[in-house]
Amino acid sequence: MAKTPIGLEPVVGSLASSKKREYRVTNRLQEGKRPLYAVVFNFIDSRYFNVFATVGGNRVTVYQCLEGGVIAVLQSYVDEDKDESFYTVSWACNVDGTPFVVAGGINGIIRVIDASNEKIHKSFVGHGDSINEIRTQPLKPSLIVSASKDESVRLWNVHSGICILIFAGAGGHRNEVLSVDFHPSDIHRIASCGMDNTVKIWSMKEFWTYVEKSFTWTDLPSKFPTKYVQFPVFLASVHSNYVDCNRWLGDFILSKSVDNEIVLWEPKMKEQSPGEGTADILQKYPVPECDIWFIKFSCDFHYNAAAIGNREGKIFVWELQSSPPVLIARLSHAQSKSPIRQTAMSFDGSTILSCCEDGTIWRWDAVPTN
Amino acid sequence: MPGIPLVARETSSSSRSTDQMCREDSRVHLSAEEEIAAEESLSIYCKPVELYNILQRRAVRNPSFLQRCLRYKIQAKHKRRIQMTVSISGIVNEDVQTQNHFPLYILLARLVSDVTVAEYSAVYRFRRACILSSFTGIEGSNQSQANFILPEINKLAMEAKSGSLAILLVSFPNVGGCCLWGRIPLESLYLSWEKSPNLSLGQRAGMILPVEMHSCLLKLNCLNEDKCILIQSSSNSLSMNKPLQLQVIISAEEVGAKEKSPYNSYTCSGVSSSSLSHIIRLRAGNVIFNYRYYNNKLQRTEVTEDFSCPFCLVKCASFKGLRHHLPASHDLFNFEFWVTEEYQAVNVSVKTDSWRSEIVADGIDPKQQTFFFCSKQLRRRRPKSLVQNARHVHPVFLESNLPAGGSELLDKAHGGNILRNARIGALECAPHLPSSSNVAGVSGAAGQSYSDSERVQSTSGNNLMPPALLQFAKTRKISMERSDPRNRTLLQKRQFFHSHRAQPMVIDQVLSDRDSEDEVDDDVADFEDRRMLDDFVDVTKDEKQIMHLWNSFVRKQRMLADGHIPWACEAFSKLHGPDLVKTPALIWCWRLFMIKLWNHGLLDARTMNNCNIILEQCQKRDSDPIKS
Repeated sequence: MAKTPIGLEPVVGSLASSKKREYRVTNRLQEGKRPLYAVVFNFIDSRYFNVFATVGGNRVTVYQCLEGGVIAVLQSYVDEDKDESFYTVSWACNVDGTPFVVAGGINGIIRVIDASNEKIHKSFVGHGDSINEIRTQPLKPSLIVSASKDESVRLWNVHSGICILIFAGAGGHRNEVLSVDFHPSDIHRIASCGMDNTVKIWSMKEFWTYVEKSFTWTDLPSKFPTKYVQFPVFLASVHSNYVDCNRWLGDFILSKSVDNEIVLWEPKMKEQSPGEGTADILQKYPVPECDIWFIKFSCDFHYNAAAIGNREGKIFVWELQSSPPVLIARLSHAQSKSPIRQTAMSFDGSTILSCCEDGTIWRWDAVPTN
Repeated sequence: MPGIPLVARETSSSSRSTDQMCREDSRVHLSAEEEIAAEESLSIYCKPVELYNILQRRAVRNPSFLQRCLRYKIQAKHKRRIQMTVSISGIVNEDVQTQNHFPLYILLARLVSDVTVAEYSAVYRFRRACILSSFTGIEGSNQSQANFILPEINKLAMEAKSGSLAILLVSFPNVGGCCLWGRIPLESLYLSWEKSPNLSLGQRAGMILPVEMHSCLLKLNCLNEDKCILIQSSSNSLSMNKPLQLQVIISAEEVGAKEKSPYNSYTCSGVSSSSLSHIIRLRAGNVIFNYRYYNNKLQRTEVTEDFSCPFCLVKCASFKGLRHHLPASHDLFNFEFWVTEEYQAVNVSVKTDSWRSEIVADGIDPKQQTFFFCSKQLRRRRPKSLVQNARHVHPVFLESNLPAGGSELLDKAHGGNILRNARIGALECAPHLPSSSNVAGVSGAAGQSYSDSERVQSTSGNNLMPPALLQFAKTRKISMERSDPRNRTLLQKRQFFHSHRAQPMVIDQVLSDRDSEDEVDDDVADFEDRRMLDDFVDVTKDEKQIMHLWNSFVRKQRMLADGHIPWACEAFSKLHGPDLVKTPALIWCWRLFMIKLWNHGLLDARTMNNCNIILEQCQKRDSDPIKS
């Protein structure tokens, strides 16, 4: 970690809850015995803003959050392979808007499930090891990016089933890649982080023609000229341990490691010499008892707040766009004791879901304030 | 299977290992179906016998090398000769001379008829001389007999009647004296032997002859291997009163060339037991064959006599001959040879080889099938594995239709190559096996299981075959085509992935000749080249541009050697000329680069001039539209 000059220390948020918003548990589901590793609301399609998916074991389930804390089970998909264990799920869609549920796990195969006709649309083979995260490009929802234990990040096109780019190589990650995210406005940039303690920012600008070609490719997907992007445009060693989640906040990056905090920092890239650059750490959001890896945070649609669970079953909701950081709420329940792997905030942040190691899904709803 | 079935003995004094050897299958109880299945698996041994008979018939006129060798050996065993022993018992007329005539040389010599040397009365050619140092019968004398081996009595007839062979006795004087020589014509010996009943009965026939020794002048000529003795009767002989007469004892006996083998200890005299099977086992020439069948659970035992092969009934002269003949000629089976003091045995089991599935179903013309041939130069190895299931047994034939050009296959020095798999139908078209290619004898090392099918060699040019065999030739493909179907099926069996992208490959990508292992992605390489150049801080943008253009040009054109540079400079100028002239700074960089190359001696002045001319032309073309 770089030595920060005086006056430029990061602002650390206070754990005193401001109680700007109050949340109550409205539902609790037990989905089997196996740990649930991911829960994600569908932000791609506005029709389905209250639909979410969870994965755990070899099962992918789609639910809907209804009024009054009701959670309705819509669909459930089970992988043929009993040993498959899905680690991540994301919502994507086709060029014509059909919603896809994309899941990946220990087998290294990405399953693209067409949720409208409940069939598997495509299976992506190519990663050499388990898949840790899948994210969708909100600007072009047919593009997904996957981060894998095989130290590579791959860009896929769910519409045509093509693997477009592989971000790996001489400048790539040197250990498992745990998380990856698309830039919200710059369609060319992605950020990935992993067990090699680094956060790398990649640019697809050079090969954007291939991305466009992938939409109109008529030949076999396996004949597509997949390109290797070996060098990231930015490399940051902000953390000193595994970095297991990173998200773009505008041009800033929120990333967390296993040291009980989320860090907001600005990547300052040098135009002339890519690869060099500094990370300017702006703020830190402390999260106590969050020192095991593979705990992810989530944000609402407008990136106003972020919810993160810890290994004791508590959820911290931070206000992202205020400085110093403000803790909106601290959610805890007597029976929620197992580690929360991921949280999901609804479109406006009024519903918070958490999926736990013991296979439970907790639903917290904001108490309407008068 | 030919051979005498061996029944288990009730009482015997033999060791336990013998029991294991000749295990009877009656101990295993089988159900009716199992019996049938067992019988079926046993019949595998009988199937090829017919085939081997066909081969045997053909080999009668033109036997294989191994067969010929074995035949000679058998003949040699049975060949009879006459061993003749010559010795001097005494001097008849002792009163004549007292000089010591020993050492006396006895030669079996042939009269050279075309003697042109006038002074000599006789010239004899001989091979070796036996020395007699004393009279026979004297104690302590070891050199008192001379032994000669003569051909058998019938063969001797012709020789004897020609009158050219004779036994010569020659004595050289010690001190003073003169040379003496005496002669016994073979004809006389032969006549007496022919009449004698002893010789034909195998007994010894002896006779005593007086031989006159005349004095003479002798000259010995030893050239190469043939030694000549030139005899000139001296005039002195006339002066002598009486020639010396020696009493010569000649005895002859018929001997057969006995083969010395360790198994000869089984002579009948050693047998004490009275049971027939025991005797059979002990007789030299009897070999026990144990056939394993029905998944190696059962075993049938048979015995053959005279070292004959149970499948083709050919007599192999010895156990060693059998040991060579079986793996060479009967490649279908695995053989294990063992020898103990009591018996010689061979364990036979069927070979299964998954690569050789040549079962021809009914209705399929074998001539139309793909034909596999493998030839290997390997050392001989004993087949170690006993084979389990023998469902497909393939007729294995000896390939002998090769022109003399197949030198590799005829290379016996390497311990034998393996030749397999001709076809019945095909062979029947070829009644004449060319004598130059007795390749079957080469396959002395065929007792190996095949694991490696990649080494497929071309089995000869079809065009080299005589027109009579055209039909056969048509069914044979060259090795490349033959191996392709097999490789193809392997490639179709599983999913293949691209080496770089890890994307699944379609079958025609897999089967295409393109290998993507070492491909360089041009776009990526260009991109990275740019980045690498961007990393430099002390280089201007234009210099970087020129460097980048040159690097990608070099990579795409595959320039590897210094000698390529002049051409490359010219080509680069032509290619990028129009762009270079638009940016004067780039031209400047390019010219500087060329000067650098010239400094290093990589570019000659003429080529640099040419490049500049090209650039000038580009400039003119570029500036012309502006001017006009």
